[in-house]
This record gives sequence, structure tokens and C-alpha cells, in this order.
Amino acid sequence: MRQFHFIRSNTFLWALAVAAAFALFVVGLFAFIYWKIDDYLIVRSDRMITTQIDFLARLPSARRVNAITDHLEQDSRGVQYAGLFDAAGARLAGNIERVPQELELDGVVQGVRLDRITQSTDHDPVVRAGARRLEGGAILVMGRNVDETREISSVVGQALALGLLPAFCLCLLAGAGLSIRAQRRVEEVNQRVRRIVAGDLRERLPQDNVDDPFARLAGIVNGMLDEMETMINALTGVGNDIAHDLRTPLTRARLALERGRTHAATLEQLHEVVDKAVAGIDQSLAIVTALLRLAEIENNRRMAGFGDVALDEILREVCDVYEPIAEDKNVALGVAIDREVQVWGDRDLLFEAVANLVDNAVKFTPAGGMVRLELVSADKTALVRVSDTGPGINEQEREAVLRRFYRSDKMRHTPGVGLGLSLVAAIVKLHGFRLIICPAPGGRVEILVSTGATRDRAPAPQSRIARHARLDRT
Amino acid sequence: MTRILLIEDDAETAESVIAELADRGFEVQWSPDGIDGLDRARSSCPDALIVDRMLPGMDGLTVIEALRKDEVGTPVLVLSALGAVDDRVRGLRMGGDDYLTKPFALVELVARIEALLRRPTDSRETTLRAGPLELDLIDRTARRGEREIDLLPREFRLLEYMMRRSDQLLTRAMLLEEVWNYKFVPATTNLIDVHMGRLRHKVDGPGEVQLIHNVRGSGFLLRVRQ
Repeated sequence: MRQFHFIRSNTFLWALAVAAAFALFVVGLFAFIYWKIDDYLIVRSDRMITTQIDFLARLPSARRVNAITDHLEQDSRGVQYAGLFDAAGARLAGNIERVPQELELDGVVQGVRLDRITQSTDHDPVVRAGARRLEGGAILVMGRNVDETREISSVVGQALALGLLPAFCLCLLAGAGLSIRAQRRVEEVNQRVRRIVAGDLRERLPQDNVDDPFARLAGIVNGMLDEMETMINALTGVGNDIAHDLRTPLTRARLALERGRTHAATLEQLHEVVDKAVAGIDQSLAIVTALLRLAEIENNRRMAGFGDVALDEILREVCDVYEPIAEDKNVALGVAIDREVQVWGDRDLLFEAVANLVDNAVKFTPAGGMVRLELVSADKTALVRVSDTGPGINEQEREAVLRRFYRSDKMRHTPGVGLGLSLVAAIVKLHGFRLIICPAPGGRVEILVSTGATRDRAPAPQSRIARHARLDRT
Repeated sequence: MTRILLIEDDAETAESVIAELADRGFEVQWSPDGIDGLDRARSSCPDALIVDRMLPGMDGLTVIEALRKDEVGTPVLVLSALGAVDDRVRGLRMGGDDYLTKPFALVELVARIEALLRRPTDSRETTLRAGPLELDLIDRTARRGEREIDLLPREFRLLEYMMRRSDQLLTRAMLLEEVWNYKFVPATTNLIDVHMGRLRHKVDGPGEVQLIHNVRGSGFLLRVRQ
């Protein structure tokens, strides 16, 4: 039944309606032309008849019979009628049998039925005729066959049949064709969408290289599908990572409890076991909390806390907090600020981002090294730079460190949840700033912030491309 | 005896909280839903309230709002599974005095309740005293007895906070929030311990009675009452 589906389709019905309207218009046009021509011909023959009557009426009565005979002889087509009758109505000359009864004798031309002497067999011709009583009582009848209008109508009819019918058929065919084409595309899209719904995320809509609305729509949908595929893949990856990272501390807690239950002989031993278990559970909770925070920031719901923030103060505070920790590790921590910088943002989040970077830098810098926290301001931008003398992040790992839970293999033994840099990235993105991870040797991470006219800025849309790039590589 | 009203719909959580608070010498009343909780808060005038945010009958924040409208100033600790910072801000704005995210440690809950019950009076005095310690808030100088303590600004801030809450358990989370204005858990988990170590080194000199105590697994304490 699918083949006949198109008859009910919208496109086809529209084509049908247009064809019908077109046909009506053409029929109307032809009717108008026919009516106009007919009118013109009748007016013309009426005028001729009146002229002839006038001409004959002015002739002396002796010459009238001859004139009529001449007139009729000259008419090779046989469309002229004339008759001269005496006062009693007896025919004197011409090819008309008798004076038509409906004809007034005042010279006014009208449509009439004439009894001709030589009746042609086929049909009664349409005749216009006028009659006048002449001086001396004779009656003159002049007429003219206006059957030409019938010919015209038949020509018009033929023209209609020859022009309109093919046009109408063409319309229907085009309508049906377009309808079938649209139907096919919709059907194809439908099937592909079904495959996508069924879970084939790599499927895309057909996108021919033409610039029609349908192709453009397909392009838009494909873009959306790209984004969704990326996100779903990322989510799946994150799901696995979470499960993995949660398992480790939970396993420790479980083992501790299990061993404690059978082996703990004293209360102290039991306490120790419980402490271990609680520590394991706390670490799991820390992971969950960090994830929730990340989701909160990434979902862009935290624009409420935005205001003017003094970046230089944040840097000093972070330095203040981390100084003792760096000192304990025998790492020099220094801060250099060339001038005060105000940005539009969330103070707590920016503090968190900078603290995370410094935390990482201090963590990964070996004893005797140095961590520098700098604020370099330019015209409309400023750069928060955290550099250290640690191993840095090599080329291959640069994209990966932004992924959740990624921890360099070398760093597996260092404590931490592994969400730090992705949190920083999320915060930076929320602010519409840019995170730059500079190549090794030496760790250097920069946040490029914009300081001018920040209030009107929406978060940067460039993140999407960045995320694509990141996923292509993984 | 200090009386606390706990409005919490989860019976198991309530049971643990009640048991812990009872151990610490509090008298605890329990109400499992918002409407009943509000009635009890109005009729029995407890010293402090612990209110869960999600409650059957009436939302926890609505309960607090209603109480504040009646000009009841009882300190309220809000419990919530919603940890988002915005939710926290909303909870505090609606009249809650402190906000604790589930899951929480019982020690943390008790420490915060005790802190709420003994809120430091904002003294106009320029000198703060606790035991042998003395802080001059104008000159920003610290002394222990006769001995001058040379403190960095951040150490001064920490000691001031602890002296205003002497003999109270101060958890790491409380210190992070109040002293360092941290709205998140730092990646370096021993951040507070390092700072506290520095301060203790300066406050508790050799041969002196230890004032700053590390309460294992929970936090710190400035003990001045011997």
C-alpha cells in the first residue's frame, strides 16, 4: 500500500489543489476570451447589416432587386441573407422565404430564425438580421450568418484540450513526484531515527550536498546527534571511571571490616579496623561529593554568585593557605602580581580553581623545587599562571588530564580523587575563560581571563569543539 | 538539661542522632514530619532545632520560615541531602543557622550543635582572653602569660576563632568554612592539620601545658578549662 501513500500526502494534495486552481483560472480566461470575441463579431455584423439596409433603402426602388441579387452573388461563403418583399409580404428578390414574424420592421438588428430558400441540411444557422419598411411599402430584410462564433468556440475548446489537459497532468505528475520524493526522504529519516533510538549512536540522517531546507534540517539534527554521541560516550566513560574509583576505597573498607570481625581481639584493634573502614567510606563519599560539584558547575546553574572579584586577592589568599604545606615539602611557593585585576565571576569558584592548581603544583613538585603563582595583566585580559619545577604534563597527557579521574600512571600512588583539573576546567568554562596547559618540562597551567566588559559576556561557546577534539583522541 | 528537637523523617538516621546526642547529655525530642515538628517547636520551646530539608507534610525550610516569622530565635541546624552550594545558601537565607550535608559524621553534627548552643557573643572588647592566652585585637598581638607569641595574620585569625570557641570541638570542615572561607573540600586533606601544627608549635611552648588538642578523627580543641 505504500506506493499509494503519496495520494494522501500533504504535498500531493497541495499539488492537486494548485492544479485545480490553475485549471479553473485557464477555463475562466478562455471563457472570457470567447465571450469577448463573440461579442465583437456580433457587434461587427450588426453594424454591417445596418449599413447594408441603409444603403439599399437609399437606392431607388427599381434598382433594389438588382442590387440585392448582386450582393448575394458576391457572397461566395453564403453567409449573407437578403430579402425584398412587397407590402403584403410576397417575395420580390433575395434568398429569404418570408419575413420572420419576430422581426420588428424598424431596422434594429437581432438574433432571429430565417427561412431560407436553399435550406442547407445540417443545422439552423445562428443569424443576426434586421428589417425595415421602405418608402413605397416594400419590406427589406438583411441578415448575416454569425456561425463563426461556433467555430471560435470549437477552436477555443481545442486549445483548452491541447493546453490545459497536459498542463493539468503535468501538475499532478509533479505533485506526485515531489510527494513521493518527500515521502522517501521522510521514510529514510524515519528508518535511521529508528536505528538511533534502538541504540546505534553512530547513525546519521542523510545529508545530500544540496542546499535545501530539508538538507539543512538534517545538518542541524546531525550536529545535535554528534554532540549527544560525544556526551553519551563521555558519560559512559565517566560511569566506568566512577565505578572503578569507588570500588577501591570500598574494597579497602570491606576487607578491613571482614578481617576485623574475625581477627580483632581487643577493643583497640576493633577501633583501628573501624577507623580504616570509615576512612574508606569517607573517600568514597569525597568522590561522590566532588562529582556532584562538578555536575553542578558544568550544568551552569551557578551564575547566581557572580560579582566583581579581585583576582590578586584570591592569589594572595591561596598562597597564604598553601605556604605551610609547601614549606613542609621543602618547596618554595612564591606569588608575583604586577597589578590589581578585577574580573566578573564567582569568588568561591575562582578561589577553588586557583587553589586546585596550586594544590596540584605543590603535590607534584619534588622537594627543593619551586612553585610560582603569577598574575600577568594585559589590556583586556589577564593571565593567572601556576608554574612549577615538577615533571609537568607531557603532550599525550595534556587532553587526558582534563578527563574525570584521569591520573597519570606515574602518579597513581599520590592521594587524591583525580577530579581536580576537570573541576578547574569546568569552572574556567563557566566563566568563559580559557584554560591553557603548557607543555613539559616543568608544570605550567594558565587561565586566560578577560577583564574588560565581562558583565555582558555569556560563557564561551567554544567548549564544544574542544570537547570534540578531546573525544576524538580518546 | 539542654533540649533539642529533631525533625527528621528517616527513623534510622533519627535513631543514631538521638542516641549520640543522648550520650552527650542532651535531651532529644523527635518528630518525623514537618507539621508535627512545627507544633512541637512552638509548644515545647527547645534550645536548638535540627531540621531535615525534605520532610513529609511540610518542607523543612518552610518550618524554619514559619518559626522565624513568629520571632522564634532558636538556633537551627539544617540537614540536607542536597549538597549544592546554592541550596546551602538558600537554607541559610531562610533562617537556618548552620547547614550540614548528608551523609555526615555524628561528631560533626554534635560539634556544630554545641557551637550553635554556645555562640560567641560579639564582644566589643578589644582584648580576647582564654585561659593563659590573650589576644589584642587592635594591635594584633598575642601573649601566653608573659610570653609574647609572634603570629602570622592567618595564624592570628585561627587562634582568634578558637579562643572565641574555647573548650569546643572544632571540626576540620568548620574551620575550613569559618576561618579560610572554603566552600569546598581541598584536595590536600591535611591542609588544616598543617596550619594547626604551626599554630600549636607557637602556642604550646616546651614545658607548657598543652592547650591545642587534636581530637582523633574529628578535629581540634582549645582546652582552657583544666
